[in-house]
Amino acid sequence: MLKNYFTIALRNFWKHKIFSLINVSGLAVGISAAVVIYLIVQFEFSFEKFRTDNSRIYRVVTDMTFPGEQVFKNSGVPMPMPKAVRTDLTGIETASHFATAYEVKVIVPSTGSQSPAEFKKQLNVIYADEFYFSLFDNYEWLAGSKQAALKDPYQVVLTEERAKTYFGNMPAKDIIGKRLVYDDSITTTVTGVVKPPNEKATDISFKEFISMATVMTTGLINQVGGNDWGSINSSSQLFVKLKNGTKPEQVDAQFHALREKYRDKKAQEKDDTKHHLQSLNDLHFNAEYGSFDNARQAHKPTLYGLLAVAAFLFLLGCINFINLTTAQSAQRAKEIGIRKTLGSGKRELVFQFLSETFLLTLLATFLSIVITPWLLKIFSDFIPPEVTFNSINQPHVWIFLLVLILIMTALSGFYPALMLTKFKPVTVLKNQMHAGTSQTRKAWLRKTLTVTQFVIAQFLVIATLVISKQVNYSLNKELGYKKDAIGSFYTRWNFFSEKPDNRRIELMEKMKAMPEIEAVSLASNSPAHGGGSSTTMKMNNGSKEIELMTETMNADADYFNIYKLKLAAGRFPMQSDTVREYSVNESFVKAFGFTKPEDIIGKFIIKGNRQLPIVGVLKDFHVKSTHEAIKPLAFASAQKSSFTVHVAMKPQVEPGVWKAALGKIEIEYKKLYTEGDEFEFNFFDETIASFYKKEQDIKRLLNWSAGLCIFISCLGLLGLVIYTTNTRVKEIGVRKVLGASVTQIVSLLSRDLVSLVLIAFIIASPLAWLAMNNWLQDFAYRTNISWWIFAACGISMLAIAIVVLGIRTIGAALANPVKSLRTE
Amino acid sequence: MLLNLKGIFKWVNVGGNRVFLLKDIDLEVKEGEFISIMGPSGSGKSTLLNVIGMLDGFDEGEYHFLHESVHKMKEKQRANLYKQYIGFVFQQYHLIDELTVYENIETPLIYQDLKGSERKAMVADMLDRFNIVGKKDLFPTQLSGGQQQLVGIARALIAKPKLLLADEPTGNLNSKQGEEIMELFRQLNNEGVTIIQVTHSEKNAGYGSRIINLLDGRIDNP
Repeated sequence: MLKNYFTIALRNFWKHKIFSLINVSGLAVGISAAVVIYLIVQFEFSFEKFRTDNSRIYRVVTDMTFPGEQVFKNSGVPMPMPKAVRTDLTGIETASHFATAYEVKVIVPSTGSQSPAEFKKQLNVIYADEFYFSLFDNYEWLAGSKQAALKDPYQVVLTEERAKTYFGNMPAKDIIGKRLVYDDSITTTVTGVVKPPNEKATDISFKEFISMATVMTTGLINQVGGNDWGSINSSSQLFVKLKNGTKPEQVDAQFHALREKYRDKKAQEKDDTKHHLQSLNDLHFNAEYGSFDNARQAHKPTLYGLLAVAAFLFLLGCINFINLTTAQSAQRAKEIGIRKTLGSGKRELVFQFLSETFLLTLLATFLSIVITPWLLKIFSDFIPPEVTFNSINQPHVWIFLLVLILIMTALSGFYPALMLTKFKPVTVLKNQMHAGTSQTRKAWLRKTLTVTQFVIAQFLVIATLVISKQVNYSLNKELGYKKDAIGSFYTRWNFFSEKPDNRRIELMEKMKAMPEIEAVSLASNSPAHGGGSSTTMKMNNGSKEIELMTETMNADADYFNIYKLKLAAGRFPMQSDTVREYSVNESFVKAFGFTKPEDIIGKFIIKGNRQLPIVGVLKDFHVKSTHEAIKPLAFASAQKSSFTVHVAMKPQVEPGVWKAALGKIEIEYKKLYTEGDEFEFNFFDETIASFYKKEQDIKRLLNWSAGLCIFISCLGLLGLVIYTTNTRVKEIGVRKVLGASVTQIVSLLSRDLVSLVLIAFIIASPLAWLAMNNWLQDFAYRTNISWWIFAACGISMLAIAIVVLGIRTIGAALANPVKSLRTE
Repeated sequence: MLLNLKGIFKWVNVGGNRVFLLKDIDLEVKEGEFISIMGPSGSGKSTLLNVIGMLDGFDEGEYHFLHESVHKMKEKQRANLYKQYIGFVFQQYHLIDELTVYENIETPLIYQDLKGSERKAMVADMLDRFNIVGKKDLFPTQLSGGQQQLVGIARALIAKPKLLLADEPTGNLNSKQGEEIMELFRQLNNEGVTIIQVTHSEKNAGYGSRIINLLDGRIDNP
């Protein structure tokens, strides 16, 4: 019996090829989108889940509150804290302390036949204590043991991969005892080789483990904050595993007392630092505390957004399917009537149609697997590199697909099946049931579904337009400075050296002589930058004393010229070796309680035991993206602490001029900085554009989603119009005989469906306006939602609908009535 | 006695008025009869046939088929009844265009829950009998009117019904094809199948043993 049904189903598809194709493609796109996004979301949410006891593992993080109620979040802890945690706190089963190292130089000393090998910038190297491998116990030990490996200073454990890099194919047990030299000064012995777990869903992917004892007993500790409880460096990380039954709040409550016991109360009376536990599962998502240098984080709102997009596309595919199937159902009415007279019961008929739907859905799924690689490319901005086409070949994905197919079959198949089986055989056979009767022509369900499709599509189009507008606004707004033809690069900044290092000044002299260069300047960061340094500043504004966190920047006289920063009052700071005076921005003036810029000139900023005058006020400019409000900022001239060189280039007379100029600078740079420092030049306008990378990605995603939604909706529209036109062939013939023109017939046929698109527009517009207004609140500086966005969307949707309809209606209107009116 | 209609009324409400399709029909049919129902257009012939075939209901009266009260049955029971005993032949053949001749004939058997091998045997027999074995894989659109009607009749007979209902079976055929069909009916009747046909043609009516005339929904007694 099933075979009979499938045979008929296939023959039906073949008979109405275009129809079936439309149906199947819409569904396939929906399924593909659902699968891809399922893969992404499932992968991101599975991070760290494989670790033993992952619900009991936490990271200790730090919050520092500064004057002005600004809270700084740091994922690290003071260096002496882990030891205290281990001895003093209750409820903790294991605590592991490690410090991340940045771009370490490794030398493999020569052994007999082999010459020494040098690796300049190794990543994923950490200093780990002896408890690391107990807390993260998913490592397999190929040589050495976790009990002994990191107990003493100057020990190192390698992963299998690193061991291969340094020692080739030497068997693991032979590597034990070999030496490695780090940063030219630390000689270590290999005490273990491990194989890390195969899971890709993790951010903790370190490859070399030097013993923490090495840091504690050498001067290295000063690079990460020293033994000071008041200093927090984010490379110093503390992970704990709680005892069974201990709640994180119980541990959180103990941190304050711990700090009070150990910190230096003379340096600071009131403790402005708090610690709390961050769950291991939060590591991948929490951008405030960040993850590790080379680990990528996921953004939960974006993931939810992706889920919404997938749901939309899937929904649209299903809606299409229901619509087209029910529309076609009247053509099957005759067959149903006959089957009923031949003795079929309702159940058998329902089963027949459900199995047809199932077959169609199966076909759509196969098609969707073919489409998936293409979709992966579209969403590539959002896809973690570990998710590829092969990720489909996992059991849970197959189960997901099966559930999807069953849901689709039930959703899309049941309604048509039930509707069809209600026909009375007699009415069908007497041809009283023709497709144009009230039952199918009114078709409220179909109309509602079509409207829903277009509401979704138009919503997305409006959203895309608004986001584009905002991004353009952000990029092109009067930012307060010049941004093109300017770039900068860092020069080496040596803490410890007593001898002054003036190589950068020498370099600048050489650059001034180059014809392509307009001007050079020595300063700290460019006007808009990602990070920054802030400090507290105190001022007496006449009525009271105010203390606020202020961002500070260093700049020489040329800086303001290069970036074309403007003054509101007073002057720029005079060239100086160290900080002598300040020029502040307008926000600074307001924040400290002064009304006019002129009022603050001549007043003093209190820093420690010095009083420094304000000599000028700059007009506000955007230090960060337009997401953030402009904050108080103070410029000073301090050549001794300025290590970034800013360059203004003359306009390019022909392409390649700038590239050549940069090449020349690099040569001079390398001549002076013989330590092998890399020359990294960043163009200012690219830096600014990168602030909006997230929005650009979202914009791209929305473009594609809107496009796909429109595509599916139009498919649905096309299917519907083909159907209604086919069933009204006779009516069209009669009307033509009575004198109707082609235009009149086309508008007759299109009228209903066009009005659906208009209704969708009316519904979608306020919804989109609300949502976009909400989204724009995220930006301190935003564009407005203009009326022409809505007009553009509505008109373009209408145009598309009319064109799609025209494909069929014009053909129908031109048909010869003689042919249409011939009785069968 | 095969079936018995007593006081059957059927009407529709148009506006506020009642329009009668069937008025006070009394009919008794014995097994082995060959009945022709005749009458002008709109007299209710097809309606009567549909009522007898349980494809349509009625508003007043009693209908007994093989001593069972059809009017008291639920739809499922009724379906089982006519599935087993009644075969219907339509004027427009009403074959399923997407199925081959073989599959069309096979379809009623599928709803009777017969095994595949049994079905195969029965369909093969039927094809043989009507001499259309060579056409079994063709689709209805590839056959002539007469051949399609033949298939329709084969389909109606495959389940070995006691009663064959035919609604103007030769209406869309030319005279020669019509004759062949009527001869076939005579043969079937001789084998014991009760036949009730609706027809316009006096000639066709002549093949039967009894004629019933309908006028405006009533049986017109001669």
